[in-house]
Amino acid sequence: MGGSEERVVVAVIMVGGPTKGTRFRPLSLNTPKPLFPLAGQPMVNHPISACKRIPNLAQIYLIGFYEEREFALFVSSISNELRVPVRYLKEDKPHGSAGGLYNFRDQIMEESPSHIFLLNCDVCCSFPLADLLEAHMSYRGMGTILVIKVSPESANQFGELVADPVTNELLHYTEKPETFVSDRINCGVYIFTPDIFTAIQGVSSQRKDRATLRRVSSFEALQPANRSLPSDFVRLDQDILSPLAGKKQFYVYETTDYWEQIKTPGMSLKCSGLYLAQFRRTSPDLLASGDGTKNAAISGNVYIHPSAKVHPTAKIGPNASISANARIGAGVRLVNCIILDDVEVKENAVVIHAIVGWKSSIGRWSRVQASGDHNTKLGVTILGESVTVEDEVVVINSIVLPNKTMNVSVQEEIIL
Amino acid sequence: MKALILVGGFGTRLRPLTLSVPKPLVDFGNKPMILHQIEALKAIGVTEVVLAINYQPEVMMNFLKDFEAKLGIKITCSQETEPLGTAGPLALARDKLIDDSGEPFFVLNSDVISEYPLKEMIEFHKSHGGEASIMVTKVDEPSKYGVVIMEESTGQVERFVEKPKIFVGNKINAGIYLLNPSVLDHIELRPTSIEKEVFPKIAAEKKLYAMVLSGFWMDIGQPKDYITGLRLYLDSLRKQSSPLLASGTNIIGNVLVDETAKIGEGCLIGPDVAIGPGCVVESGVRLSRCTVMRGVRIKKHACVSGSIIGWHSTVGQWARAENMTILGEDVHVGDEVYSNGGVVLPHKEIKSSILKPEIVM
Repeated sequence: MGGSEERVVVAVIMVGGPTKGTRFRPLSLNTPKPLFPLAGQPMVNHPISACKRIPNLAQIYLIGFYEEREFALFVSSISNELRVPVRYLKEDKPHGSAGGLYNFRDQIMEESPSHIFLLNCDVCCSFPLADLLEAHMSYRGMGTILVIKVSPESANQFGELVADPVTNELLHYTEKPETFVSDRINCGVYIFTPDIFTAIQGVSSQRKDRATLRRVSSFEALQPANRSLPSDFVRLDQDILSPLAGKKQFYVYETTDYWEQIKTPGMSLKCSGLYLAQFRRTSPDLLASGDGTKNAAISGNVYIHPSAKVHPTAKIGPNASISANARIGAGVRLVNCIILDDVEVKENAVVIHAIVGWKSSIGRWSRVQASGDHNTKLGVTILGESVTVEDEVVVINSIVLPNKTMNVSVQEEIIL
Repeated sequence: MKALILVGGFGTRLRPLTLSVPKPLVDFGNKPMILHQIEALKAIGVTEVVLAINYQPEVMMNFLKDFEAKLGIKITCSQETEPLGTAGPLALARDKLIDDSGEPFFVLNSDVISEYPLKEMIEFHKSHGGEASIMVTKVDEPSKYGVVIMEESTGQVERFVEKPKIFVGNKINAGIYLLNPSVLDHIELRPTSIEKEVFPKIAAEKKLYAMVLSGFWMDIGQPKDYITGLRLYLDSLRKQSSPLLASGTNIIGNVLVDETAKIGEGCLIGPDVAIGPGCVVESGVRLSRCTVMRGVRIKKHACVSGSIIGWHSTVGQWARAENMTILGEDVHVGDEVYSNGGVVLPHKEIKSSILKPEIVM
């Protein structure tokens, strides 16, 4: 136990890829989802900053399907900015959530880490990684899973876990069950010891053997469960956690902080607000302030990029995020919104519960708003890149794809 | 002789198809839209075509290199750094369009598919001796377009009326022009509209003449008109007894099938269908009034009508797609699924039926 204090720790962040996650359209038409800004920083920055706080962290790996060049610039700038080595590893084909980890085991094990954190990029939470590590070291299993309690009605959208209330051992795991199993769900944040690679390899070889030895009847072959997965395709949840539950290998650590999945643009607005609230607690100097005299009046948690220009008569917030080079004109009101780079919001316009895409232009006295229901398809108005909303036009509960000009008012529409 | 094709911008009305390729490269009748125009220009002796574009020039240039070689015509791009409207691009491409010959040059709108009676237009232009000729076409609903008021016998244009609220005439600007080099002196290098600024000036000098286009004409910039346009195009192929049209016991009406496409047993194809390269249409399939693009697989017993199926998509067994279903690239409609006007963005799987027209992102 004492020896592992000197050994290093690495973190792996799964960032996904372009043809997966079409739910993030139209924003993902222009930008890889992991680089979409929440509270003024790319989505993946948040788990990366959390990793940086782990003692003895040697390296962070981003694993995904995006082309290397899409991440090259980001990786070098974040490495410099946060002074922590970050590398992007591109998967050549789908290996499943555990298979991907296994595929890059040589790189991950380069510095013989004692522990490996695995995080999903599209998870929004406080990432209590130091606490997770401490808990894991007391349980001494192969891995520890971060879990959170949710409402029983919503639990079946996730992986449900049952754990021993005393030892915290994982007893049962099931992915998106139809009936109620548990209200504790998998947060998509884990810590493992290097034994995890052995477990993954075990699943791989078992599948390979089964495929060569077993002769499947033609009826069996039609059943979805038997449709053979390639031997190197290993899913963490179904293939590792589920079968190994109850075998004293995995444990859980419960967080009571916030947790959300960032699957849609509507949710990204909600999560941006959650991170702004986090900044209020941990780094309030990142947030804007003003009372309408020298600077614009700020209400609640607001982020404004240093290069953005905001007229002093505008009123911003709560939960507004303004990106680089945006220009906010006189008398503008912004509430619960993300204003992306190079956007111009002209005089007296109103933006409520919306995301305004890069380089867009919002006309004078125009109104861009929505109901604010982050979970429904049209609950947050989304304007893609380079959308123009002309003067006095109203856009409500709608999604507008890039390069469109709105010269008539619309409600509840998707504009291609 | 030279020509300019106004390609313009993002082609948003033809989304989701234009999310995968720029609009001029969207296939129509089994070849990229712009190829119809380039071939018509080549046929009457145009030696150089300039494409006025402002979006995705790299993608365009790659394709154009292929066409240049195959067709033996020079193709260049003139790229706008800001949108220049319908006349500005001509000023931008000035040096490419004017040479010492003093010959007039063609200007075509890339959204337009028609008979292209360009040879007749050259003769018309010579006979009236004016500065510019425009092609007009008769339509049922003129108020959707710009109407051209002209003197019937000579074709001399009196004026333009944009989207008239009352009936003033039924001939509209067909987007095909033949211009003397002197017209370029009327056009500044700034966002300019040819219909609103340039032509009215020339018409006032009584130097603008209009020729009525016989044969079909369609602006295929949006899916509904694309499907109607295909019917008109295939109809014109039939009139010319084109060998491209398919025939057989399983073919009804006008149908185009690429030679690399495979059609199974017991299918009924047509009328007004285009099936692209590498497509596989399995047995028992019914296709009518639709376009099936390159690499699509239509599985057994499926039914597609009044729709556009984008590149490399699949339509499952016993599935039915109708009523302006537009599938983008790489969309997979599951077995037995019904789509009534679903408009689906690229790289999606449709596992449950779409009962009313809706956009699936």
